[in-house]
Amino acid sequence: MPQILGIDLGTTNSLIARMENGVPRVIADPETGATMLPSVVAIAPDGSISTGARAIELEPHLSVEQGGKIAAVGFPGGEYGAVIRSVKRYMGLGGAEVAPEDCSRYAFADLSGPIVRFQVGARTLTPPQISAEILRALKVRAERALGEAVDRVVITVPAYFNDAQRQATKDAGRLAGLEVVRLVNEPTAASLAYGLGKRAEGTVAVYDFGGGTFDVSILSIKAGIFEVLATNGDTHLGGDDIDAAIVNWILAGLPGEVARDRHVWNSVRSAAEAAKKKLTTDSSAEIAVALPGHTIRKTLTRAELEKLAEPIVTRTLARCSMALADAKLSPAQIDAVVLVGGSTRMPMVRQRVRELFAREPLCSIDPDEVVALGAAVQASVLMGGQGDMLLLDVVPLSLGIETMGGVMERLIHRNTTIPTSVTEMFTTAVDNQTHVDVHVVQGERELAADCRSLARFKLGPIEPQPAGLPRVAVTFLIDANGILNVSARDERTGREHSVDVKPSYGLSDEEIERMLEESIDLGEQDLEQRLLIVARVDAEQILAALAKQLGEYPDLIGADERARLAEVAERLEAARMGADRNLIANLVEQLNELSTPFAGRIMDAAIKAALEKKSVEQVS
Amino acid sequence: MVECPSCGRRQEPRLICETCATPLGVELDCFAALGLPKKLAIEPGAIERVYHELSRRIHPDRYAQAPVRVRDASLRSTALLTRSYRTLRDPLDRGKYWLELRGEKLSDDNKQVPPEIAETVFEVQEHLADLREAIRADPARARALGDELETRRAALQTMMNDYQIALGGNFVLWDLGRSNAKDLAAELKLILSNIAYLRTLMRDVDLGLGSLKAA
Repeated sequence: MPQILGIDLGTTNSLIARMENGVPRVIADPETGATMLPSVVAIAPDGSISTGARAIELEPHLSVEQGGKIAAVGFPGGEYGAVIRSVKRYMGLGGAEVAPEDCSRYAFADLSGPIVRFQVGARTLTPPQISAEILRALKVRAERALGEAVDRVVITVPAYFNDAQRQATKDAGRLAGLEVVRLVNEPTAASLAYGLGKRAEGTVAVYDFGGGTFDVSILSIKAGIFEVLATNGDTHLGGDDIDAAIVNWILAGLPGEVARDRHVWNSVRSAAEAAKKKLTTDSSAEIAVALPGHTIRKTLTRAELEKLAEPIVTRTLARCSMALADAKLSPAQIDAVVLVGGSTRMPMVRQRVRELFAREPLCSIDPDEVVALGAAVQASVLMGGQGDMLLLDVVPLSLGIETMGGVMERLIHRNTTIPTSVTEMFTTAVDNQTHVDVHVVQGERELAADCRSLARFKLGPIEPQPAGLPRVAVTFLIDANGILNVSARDERTGREHSVDVKPSYGLSDEEIERMLEESIDLGEQDLEQRLLIVARVDAEQILAALAKQLGEYPDLIGADERARLAEVAERLEAARMGADRNLIANLVEQLNELSTPFAGRIMDAAIKAALEKKSVEQVS
Repeated sequence: MVECPSCGRRQEPRLICETCATPLGVELDCFAALGLPKKLAIEPGAIERVYHELSRRIHPDRYAQAPVRVRDASLRSTALLTRSYRTLRDPLDRGKYWLELRGEKLSDDNKQVPPEIAETVFEVQEHLADLREAIRADPARARALGDELETRRAALQTMMNDYQIALGGNFVLWDLGRSNAKDLAAELKLILSNIAYLRTLMRDVDLGLGSLKAA
């Protein structure tokens, strides 16, 4: 049997690992030596894909070119291709759940459906398809490094992921041509990495604060059995939120149309992230972001950062208290605290965790790698290679059905060990009723409408009988991946009913099949072709931006300057239809250079206008 | 008779195959699932050991590479094992399950507060309402009410301990098999509904004390 590998499919970075002579190791890219793959995917207008560091280069941003001119470069979304970061935040979400501020960062297609769709050229892409590209890149990396095919993996997910988010992750694996043998919760995976080889016993809290998600799990470890007692978390709470708070702090006072611009936002975001990382060791960080005609300069002190991060870190601690309460334990009863995830590098986070549990947290394994290493350990468990080591995890959210009056009847309580099942008896409410509708929901609220819809299904056909006589036993089974399976049996006839469960969110099986066929058609594009496409996109973008600016700010440009720009623009227009990539690139360069003073004047005017408006408001 | 999904051996329903130890994936009562005699007096440490030992043998992680029908049986058997452990581990749930096995249901006559503890329940609820009000309006009074509530909580814990001892006694009588089952069931119902109510009440008290601490 070929080896099963472990994948940490992270919000910010993804890794792939395997066991080598009983020790888990992250597999590095054989060409670059990198262990982490940034979870960023770039899709050109023709559908060709890049991932990781290459995709980050294509992300819309402001680039300071030679001679100090500033150019807006990268795929801005929509018809010009898109670059998607932190796609994990969209996994398992319905279109209507996309936050309004996200709409200025990405081009979405119709947001009324049961799944988020990004608009890329003429196509729309769903989060599982984009995650599949990250998984495929990891698969290729591992295959090149090991010289053998990789097709079976363990993928980690946040412990607090709901059913739809887990299913979306499994779908991503399938779309990447991988068999997902098991989904493992990230904090539990981390505990396996820590517990391997040691005969550790006791009660452990895992504090997992990553790029986009927060989890806390409390485990009891006894004779090789890792039993989760309680878990809690927030699947939209992470380092990204701290970055966003810094970005807003940097951009405060700038006009909305500047702050919302994708190029500006991304440039500021990377400056914010760099400053945050610097403040891990330093007490202040200089931030400089060059906009056309204006450079933002600010100093971020550690104290200021901690003020910005305070509400976010406080939310993680509240989750820890909830997990402890569910486990019926006090902080003093915890024998060890383990730190996982890049955000735990922040001194403030360590300090607050230390205070809550009144002990020094452990971080001897790299917090960026520990989840992937744990996934490799679990893969080894599944191959029978870890003796009597066994993980008993829990379902993070209660599962129930909608009953009369919209009340949620809880069938499986949160923190129940999985796999688990419960059988519920259903009958008819009126004579000769042939179908019973069942609505399954997940969450902790009393009303079904306040919980998250999981699926709907119709029981039947039921033989026409007086009301209350038919008895259909429905079994709700949560498997070891934390995913619901439903089966039904007619108690009178003993016949199994087929249950056609319609998930409320996500992709149907048919859609996945179709996507698989499409991805085979597309095939791999060669590098030269890709570079040509990138050059063409750059050309289209700059031409479109210039046309827009000339239309909107005709007073800010003289006749001579306009004529010179028009001449180069015309040549570029002609060149972009051809196949000479270097010619296109040269003309883009020229046009960029020529238009920089004009762009600077526009930015200046916008900032002035905003400041004037503000002072008028302050006076009045 | 059921058939083992792995070796095909036909046998009486049980958790794992008597020949090859593969999980059979069939439904069983909670006692049979854990291989325990149908006795109500169970030692907590012992049931955990049994649960861990059986989990190690039948968990889906042990059958990740097995044929689909064996994997499916492992999933079903493990779900059954987990449910059985959770049911029998907790004396209240174990007692309720015992009644269910006898075709009776606690929740049917559990609509009202049991008379024995009715007065206590009402007093504590009133106390909690006062506390919630005082947390909003009068912090000094809230602290005083909080201290009184701590005293009440200790009294509730004593009541709870007494009912748990009574429950243990009832369990032993069932296991001895010499008393009238109908009388024992009536007594069991009474103890269980008292415990269930007290448990909810103590949770509310803890929530009240928690919100006082937060304020």
